[in-house]
Amino acid sequence: MLKVENVKKSFGAATVLNGVNLTVRPGEVVSILGSSGSGKSTLIRCINGLEKLDAGLITVDEFDVSKPKELAEARKRSGTVFQLFNLYPHMTALKNITLAPVEVLKRPRDEAEAEGRALLASVGLGDRADAYPAQLSGGQRQRVGICRALAMKPRYLLLDEVTSALDPEMTAEVLTILAKLAAEGTTMVFVTHEVEFARQISNRVVFLEKGTLLVDLPTKDFFDPAGGLAQPRVAQFLSKMRKD
Amino acid sequence: MRFTDFTSYDLVLLAQGLATTIGLFLATSLIGLAIGALWAVIRFYRVPVLTQLVAFLAEILKNSPVLVQLFLVFFGFPAFFKVNVTPVEAAVITLSANTAAFVYVIGVSAIESIAREQVEAARVFGLTRWQVLRHVIAPQAAAFSVGPLVALLVNQLQVTSLISVIGVVDLTKIGNILNLRTLKPFIVWSVVGLLYYLAAKLVATLGARFEDRLRAHSAFRGL
Repeated sequence: MLKVENVKKSFGAATVLNGVNLTVRPGEVVSILGSSGSGKSTLIRCINGLEKLDAGLITVDEFDVSKPKELAEARKRSGTVFQLFNLYPHMTALKNITLAPVEVLKRPRDEAEAEGRALLASVGLGDRADAYPAQLSGGQRQRVGICRALAMKPRYLLLDEVTSALDPEMTAEVLTILAKLAAEGTTMVFVTHEVEFARQISNRVVFLEKGTLLVDLPTKDFFDPAGGLAQPRVAQFLSKMRKD
Repeated sequence: MRFTDFTSYDLVLLAQGLATTIGLFLATSLIGLAIGALWAVIRFYRVPVLTQLVAFLAEILKNSPVLVQLFLVFFGFPAFFKVNVTPVEAAVITLSANTAAFVYVIGVSAIESIAREQVEAARVFGLTRWQVLRHVIAPQAAAFSVGPLVALLVNQLQVTSLISVIGVVDLTKIGNILNLRTLKPFIVWSVVGLLYYLAAKLVATLGARFEDRLRAHSAFRGL
């Protein structure tokens, strides 16, 4: 179980997270919606230990991310996919994927490579294993980014606006893969602006507003006029997102 | 034959001088690269005391003339520490330290040029600080710094000519000797200059080839 309890985080005078509580159970897909600056990415960065908490507690399967010794274990259990891919530019797609399994999990290189190739094939990039990130399109890069996270066999996949830097066609490539992962029962924390997609794949949707969780409801209730939509802020946000 | 004439033995002298110059250049470059890289790593880890010490040393070495440093080592070490240093030892100590200071500066800026996101992307998967340095930062920093490093080494090759002042028989010293004997400065220094040029060109060419290899991953080949 991934637990966020009363987490507070500010940068200087700006309070970004102001007492956030969230629980993600294994097998769940939880989407986090909210406008820019509402603290979505910061929440993800707190969960994977990239930001120090000012107050509160985050545990990943009982491992406290604010304790350096437990953070290493917590990080093995969560895999992050970044908005801007953050692939290692000097390594091939395959090497990007195998680095952490070989170095952190101490897997034999040939095994890690076989698994890496299988992962690449599963996202339709079987023939691009030896390409460098600069030789791949945005959508392909993000698919490699997803493989890199999956190669660690994480119990929780943290996705931080993974399609925000992609055009609609490439977004579709990536979302297809995420839908497949969701169908296979992968636990995901999915920060996104893709409202329709969030609705399709999530078990729960939470709405973050000015550093607090305004709504935390099962997907069906979230989009129900008597549920999440009863919140004026949520209704306003969704109407803006759906103007297309 | 008049003593001012050139003899074929002068070619041997030139070759010996060139060998001394290149030998000292290679030795001090390797020592300087190793020490400078080590200093940059010390700074990367922010080791207390050592970081400040290294920054201070580099500052002094960068901002004073190599010739002054050379005199300090050659004449100062015997006077203050009661250790005698030969001209070659003084040359190795001074040039290595000087190269190290500039390698340190290049290394530090190369490490700092690597985007924070790169480090974060490796840290979230549980790589240790050392693993991040070794697999993510160092290869990218190396590709970034090889250009400035080659420029530095080409310059350090020329700087080796200063050591002739304390009596190391390098290419410049041989030039001096031949010049005094033959009284044909234009010919002697043209030949000496050409030899330095060829050696520098070789360093630059090898460096450029190495840079291409380190940057093989970048699809951008310039305008």
